[in-house]
Amino acid sequence: MSSFLLLLQISFRNIFSSFLNVVIGLIILVGTLFFVVGGSLLASIDKGMSRSIIGSIGGDAQVYQASSKDSPAIFEGWQIPDLDPIPDFSKIKGPLLSNPNVKSVVPEGINTAIVVYGNTIDQILEKLRKAVSPGSKQPREKVESLKAHVRQMVSVIQTDMAKLDKVASKGSFDPDAAKDLTKASSSEFWKGFDRDPFNHLEFLENKIAYLIPDSDQIFLSYVGTDLDVFAKAFDRMQIVDGTAVPPGHRGMLLSKYVYEEMFKLKSAHRLDKIHEALTEKGKKIAQDPDLQDLVKQNKLQTREIVLQLDPLSSQKAVSLLQNNLGLKETDLPKLLSAFFDTDDANFEGRYKVFYDQLAPLVELYRLKPGETLTIKAYTKSGVVSAVNIKIYGTFQFKGLEKSDVAGGMSLMDIMSFRDLYGYVTPEKMAETKSLEKEAGVKFVARDNAEADLFGGSSSVVQETTQKKINDKAELGGAKVKRVNLTEQVYSTEEMEKGVAMGAAILLKDSSKLKLTMKELQEISDRQGLGLKVIDWQTAAGYLGKFILVSKIILYLATAIIFVVALVIINNAMVMATLQRVREIGTMRAIGARKGFVLGMVLTETVVLGLAFGTVGAALGSAFVLWLSRHGIGAFNDAFYFFFSGPRLYPDLSIGSLVMAFIVVVMVTCISALYPALMATRVSPIQAMASDD
Amino acid sequence: MADIVSIQDVYKDYPLDKVVVPALRGVSLSVKQGDFLSIVGPSGSGKTTLLNLIGCVDVATKGTVLIDGHDTKSLNDHQLTDLRLNTLGFIFQSFNLVPVLSVFQNVEFPLLLQRRLTPAERAKRVDELLVKVGLDKHSLHRPSELSGGQRQRVAIARALVTRPKIVLADEPTANLDSVTGENIIDLMKEMNREEKTTFIFSTHDAKVMSHANSVIKLADGKIADGKPVRDKAAGKKVKAGKH
Ligand SMILES: Nc1ncnc2c1ncn2[C@@H]1O[C@H](COP(=O)(O)OP(=O)(O)O)[C@@H](O)[C@H]1O
Ligand SMILES: [Mg+2]
Repeated sequence: MSSFLLLLQISFRNIFSSFLNVVIGLIILVGTLFFVVGGSLLASIDKGMSRSIIGSIGGDAQVYQASSKDSPAIFEGWQIPDLDPIPDFSKIKGPLLSNPNVKSVVPEGINTAIVVYGNTIDQILEKLRKAVSPGSKQPREKVESLKAHVRQMVSVIQTDMAKLDKVASKGSFDPDAAKDLTKASSSEFWKGFDRDPFNHLEFLENKIAYLIPDSDQIFLSYVGTDLDVFAKAFDRMQIVDGTAVPPGHRGMLLSKYVYEEMFKLKSAHRLDKIHEALTEKGKKIAQDPDLQDLVKQNKLQTREIVLQLDPLSSQKAVSLLQNNLGLKETDLPKLLSAFFDTDDANFEGRYKVFYDQLAPLVELYRLKPGETLTIKAYTKSGVVSAVNIKIYGTFQFKGLEKSDVAGGMSLMDIMSFRDLYGYVTPEKMAETKSLEKEAGVKFVARDNAEADLFGGSSSVVQETTQKKINDKAELGGAKVKRVNLTEQVYSTEEMEKGVAMGAAILLKDSSKLKLTMKELQEISDRQGLGLKVIDWQTAAGYLGKFILVSKIILYLATAIIFVVALVIINNAMVMATLQRVREIGTMRAIGARKGFVLGMVLTETVVLGLAFGTVGAALGSAFVLWLSRHGIGAFNDAFYFFFSGPRLYPDLSIGSLVMAFIVVVMVTCISALYPALMATRVSPIQAMASDD
Repeated sequence: MADIVSIQDVYKDYPLDKVVVPALRGVSLSVKQGDFLSIVGPSGSGKTTLLNLIGCVDVATKGTVLIDGHDTKSLNDHQLTDLRLNTLGFIFQSFNLVPVLSVFQNVEFPLLLQRRLTPAERAKRVDELLVKVGLDKHSLHRPSELSGGQRQRVAIARALVTRPKIVLADEPTANLDSVTGENIIDLMKEMNREEKTTFIFSTHDAKVMSHANSVIKLADGKIADGKPVRDKAAGKKVKAGKH
């Protein structure tokens, strides 16, 4: 006992006696610190990510038809996995819910649609057409304002064309278009408008509208689900704008993230991004090239605003900009460019002016809750179907507001989803297929489908759209009227008795995931449901693998650090032992056995490892605890998902701490083995050797 | 009275590359309990080699070495180590203290290896010895804080702490100035008288040699003149040693 104490004492005193020991110690310290901090961060990100996935769309587990070629990959919206549908959701819901740990079963299907968004001029012309149509109650001033707006747009195009003509090579510009533009901007044309509005409108629609290339195709990833069940199951979901879709109704909720990214006035969205970077992330325009880029884009891309303004609003905008900027300039685009030319000093002021004074003159969002969107998607069989669907509002998952991953998915009622996916009920599945064949619809190979989707006028699209609408009409027993569909109310039974691409399972106790998954698989196998159960990590596709990969990287990095440490420690220990040959020889000469020397070197190394390991672990723990109080801000939007919120508050991972100690002791012992063995070979004669 | 050390016709060869260096060539000698024996000879004559054989840190190539009745050739590493721990004490030319231990701990070290005494007994014995070597005030110092002479005193205390029968010292004064060296030899002699410990030390310093009771002269790995040589003063001292 006392000789062990002596060993400890020698060890402790030896630690700082040699520079080598300090080097070894520091390696161990850094290694342990790295391990504890990295391990804790990963464990916390793992937790955060599982919270994100489980709490938004994924659920604890997913079930899908076992016969499918692919497996579900939520959050990979742009690449729809090839899944066989579950023919009748109502048949699987009960059995799955019979497991006591299952909280809810949410039918889900993921698909990507394209929303083709018309030109601004198309929309204005549409309004004008309504305003001048017989029976319109629009006041005269409104019609005049719309007319003036169209004239303004025509002149904007003319200016653009003239500029383009200068830079482009001769002949690249269609002379007919120039003639049309001259006609549309002439006062004779507008004098004659009131006499024959429809002919004039047709001219504008056919010859002018396409010249404004600001139409947009928006890719929309969405989850088709029973919206009520979904909202109850995923309680982080909250409505931001508008309202929830009333129970049993068809409708869509756009993800707030997508709504901001895709539907908001681009200039405003860029201002928001700069504002957030300046106020929340403490960035500076002067130092951040990304922000400078946003400023530049705002300066250059003023047309979206200019086109939206009719002459009256334009005038208002010009004068308010002149006032604010103290300029005499009368050209609106130039004023806007000057206004958007922001720096760190004037940004917040301009930001306020924009929202207080300029924004009321324009539409900030090109789609508002309550409006209807036409959504096109390709069906399982590869043909394009279209559905008109009312957008009730926007939603977000609490804590994941900024995440492009969680925020990438919009929500759609399951009936519309089935229409778009091409399956309605099991019976209809077969029927639809034969109908499609009868109608002679060309089946579009997946590869070509995209082209067909883009080309909005393709015959395939037209025909199937028609077909779909007929289909629905038959189902609803109503006339071919879209309104009927959006007003249609479905019973829970109707919604459940139909196909689903899969279902999210939410558990009461998430820690029993593996066991419950096994039980659910057994239920499916026993009752012949033909399902396959996978956990959230697998279902999350590449994201689920992210943590795994990160862990492998951390462990690999740690392994490399420790292998390097092992080599360095081993070498340093050999050197230290060689330096101590006389001391060890003396000990041997005055009666220390080989075992004592072995024990001494090993104890010293372990003490060294533990001492510096403890300091490293303590520093690491302190750092993690500090982080847990202050949090790590999400570096960019992607991290919101991994952090499950704007900041990650990592917990100290006891597992990492214990692992770190085990690894440190193991590494030091292994690296000390050879030097220790070497030390036992030191002969007592070596004590006798004289200094020289 | 039996000889504490008995060496018979001992040879020691060192293999050096392809050749063999004969360090000892047929040495025989015996040392009586309580002797204060000096081994003298020029550098390379085999003094260290002889002391190493007596000190059980090396074994002879040929011949027998009996230490306190044990034939060192028949002992394994463990037994040799224990013999060194319990029967022998060592004083080194370069003091060889453990640098990270205090004076007290250096002296206590062999007792800890023995595991026989309680901490209190150990402390008592160490303190007594430190008083004797005049370092009781320095017990908490590190070796690096001491002078060469002080360090060698610590080494003497360490060599004596287990109350060994034999203390071996290979040129204990070589790294000390002559006055300090003589003081160290005086101290050793005092211990020899008080503890009845046998001292065998080598030196090539005539002044140091003169303190010895008996002297063995080595030359070329052989005892000079072919037989052990006793100094004039030796007889009296040896008798005194024997009582
Ligand atoms: N380890 C060794 N290897 C080879 N030769 C040695 C070794 N130790 C001593 N010798 C040789 O043995 C002879 C005696 O050496 P040593 O006993 O050290 O003499 P001394 O101590 O009297 O100077 C010398 O010739 C020396 O070179
Ligand atoms: Mg020598």
